[in-house]
Amino acid sequence: MPHRDDAGSFVRRAKAMPNAIDIENFSYKYPDGTAALSDITLNVEHGRKVALIGPNGAGKSTLLLAMAGFVKGDGRVLIDGLEINRKNLKQIRAWVGSCLENPDDQLFMPTLFDDVAFGPLNMGLGTEQVKERVADALQTVGLAEMGDKAPHHLSAGQKRAAAIATILSMTPKIITLDEPDGSLDPRNRNNLIKLLGSLSQTLIIATCNMNFAAVLADRAVLLDKGHIIADGKAKIIMSDSKLMNEHGLEVPTISS
Amino acid sequence: MHHAHIDKFAYQDSAIHRLDSRVKFIVVLVFTAVVVSLPRTSLSILVCYAIGPFAILVLGGIPLRFVFKQILLVSPFVLVLALSCPLYDRTPLAIAFGPFDWRITVGWMRCFTILGKFTVTMLALIGLVSTTRFNDLLAGLQKLGVPRLLVIQLGFLYRYIFVLIDRAHHILQARAGRKLRNLGFRAELRTAAAMLGSLFVRSIDTAEHINIAMQARGFDGHWRSVSRLRIRRADLLFALIAASFMLGLYIFVKPVLQ
Repeated sequence: MPHRDDAGSFVRRAKAMPNAIDIENFSYKYPDGTAALSDITLNVEHGRKVALIGPNGAGKSTLLLAMAGFVKGDGRVLIDGLEINRKNLKQIRAWVGSCLENPDDQLFMPTLFDDVAFGPLNMGLGTEQVKERVADALQTVGLAEMGDKAPHHLSAGQKRAAAIATILSMTPKIITLDEPDGSLDPRNRNNLIKLLGSLSQTLIIATCNMNFAAVLADRAVLLDKGHIIADGKAKIIMSDSKLMNEHGLEVPTISS
Repeated sequence: MHHAHIDKFAYQDSAIHRLDSRVKFIVVLVFTAVVVSLPRTSLSILVCYAIGPFAILVLGGIPLRFVFKQILLVSPFVLVLALSCPLYDRTPLAIAFGPFDWRITVGWMRCFTILGKFTVTMLALIGLVSTTRFNDLLAGLQKLGVPRLLVIQLGFLYRYIFVLIDRAHHILQARAGRKLRNLGFRAELRTAAAMLGSLFVRSIDTAEHINIAMQARGFDGHWRSVSRLRIRRADLLFALIAASFMLGLYIFVKPVLQ
């Protein structure tokens, strides 16, 4: 029956579709020999919102850098089925949008427009297309009228939103965010939660703030001393007070 | 933290603000060259030259109090140079202004001329940076053929100088919070060295992060930008008025001080 055939072929295609991120036995040592990540294996499907939780120094930021090919260790990192290597770094970075912890590091251009346009221009898009991308990205993060502003004239919340806009303009498949809620007041944090919740991309959010993680993520990966300690449903992992306390974390006081 | 930005009035809207940055930059550059090249006895003409930048500042809605504060801020460097003139050139000089006449020295004349030229050129420069957004100025410089690397460096300098000042301020606050007695010169020097070292290391750290942010967005060593500069009829009219003003003064106004 045609219907069954169609359905069958859909299932086969879905199974063949690669994960957004596949990390296989990845290990990385700092230049001084300290192990930052040890034997990390992680698979993330497209469209998932994953919280990378763990205490300070657990290796969360390093793992995010590994996903965009900024640290090279032993093991394999595949983005949408493509293994990261020197030749395809440009493609990988167009797929993986990295949002750094400090927005001041992310916003390095004289104006917000130039900052948001930086990625699309490097992707080789034409001027009109770049302008469209910039307008869309700024609209999405609620900074539509602020393209001409200099980054140092923005508030902390606006800087965070602007940093995300610089990534969105490249229309990545995956967005990694390092402590995105840092130094935000509750109103700006809630705005950020709404914004991130509305995005369709795969999100990998490294955070120490369990309430922030609980509201946003459907899956949690607990990392400590460079090892994955637990990986599963965010609700289940984050409600395990013994596990959370053992690794210097706390049970969230709010849930999604 | 609040900073006294040099371009804090550049985000206003006026006819002067809307002018193309390239035209304003060239006009100010030529104006500065003309003023600097005036003879040392041209103190009275400088007043006429000052009308140009003064008009730009007024039309641009720039508070004169802010302008004179900025001039005072940088004046110590010029004051040292100007005030040294009377010391090494004491040749008598007779000056006349209408029915009045005085006897001073050539050194003093040079001193006043230097201060006059400094004030007039500073008026023009402040007029430029207060009515032009820094990024437009950078884009204009790039269009005018200034080496791209220099323009990028200026852009980074402008972007991160305030971040650096903030950090230095925080380090000083941390020191002040724990410094409960006078430590003596050597200990103070050691502390200052450690503070500078900390600032340096954090700056390197920031530079590395910026590099990551740039690479993450596909930077491959080639700087690309979207130019939004347009030369309009108003820009040409401004250039024409500025050229007529400078040419008129150069041809028709002669020094009255002899």
